[in-house]
Amino acid sequence: MGLDILFKIAGVGILVSVFHTALKQAGKEDMAHLCTLAGFTIVLLWVVQLLGQLFNTVQDVFKLF
Amino acid sequence: MWLKLAGGVLVLVVCSWVGFQLAARCSGRPQHIRQMVSCLGSLKSYITYASMPLHEALMQCTQGIYGPIADFFHHTAELLEGNGGLSPQQAINTVLGDMQGQLMLKQPELEILSILGANLGQMNRQEQGNYLTMIIEQLEKFEGEAARLRDLNTKMYRYLGICGGLAIVILLV
Repeated sequence: MGLDILFKIAGVGILVSVFHTALKQAGKEDMAHLCTLAGFTIVLLWVVQLLGQLFNTVQDVFKLF
Repeated sequence: MWLKLAGGVLVLVVCSWVGFQLAARCSGRPQHIRQMVSCLGSLKSYITYASMPLHEALMQCTQGIYGPIADFFHHTAELLEGNGGLSPQQAINTVLGDMQGQLMLKQPELEILSILGANLGQMNRQEQGNYLTMIIEQLEKFEGEAARLRDLNTKMYRYLGICGGLAIVILLV
């Protein structure tokens, strides 16, 4: 896994904040919120997959079935 | 590795280009409306004071103006001169259809131009002058609105183009 995913999440966070600012300045608050929500959803999908891997690892380590 | 890098750069460049194109389109609209107002002002003078035939007036009114707006008036004049049976509205609608991609005008301006064609050459000179004054006033209002939208949207399109490219690269890598 490495640190790749962390950098990816950081990059998405930075880009979403730029999107939000640009759209808000253009008076499109609804689109800005939509964009933030989309970024959050993408990051959440990655994090949920990682959490799934973590739980599988915990199950394997402690032999929990 | 190098292939990924090249692909990423390519995606970034293309998305930025799209963003800059949209920004240019946004900033071109007020300029085109301004040129249109200038041409219609000249057209009004040629019709009311010089009593020039419509196709000649359309040809002359673009003096000092270049680009798609001048081409629009020239093509309309050529159509009116070449096809005797064509009404000004038909000529304007035909040229608007032909130049759809070049003119950076939106629906309200296009509707006004179409209505202008319906009334051009149908009334006496004074009425045409009054009508053109009204059209020019409406276009000036649209120009103010377009300038406001340009100030708001030009930066946004550029930012969205570049950041959208970066987002795609991050998501795909």
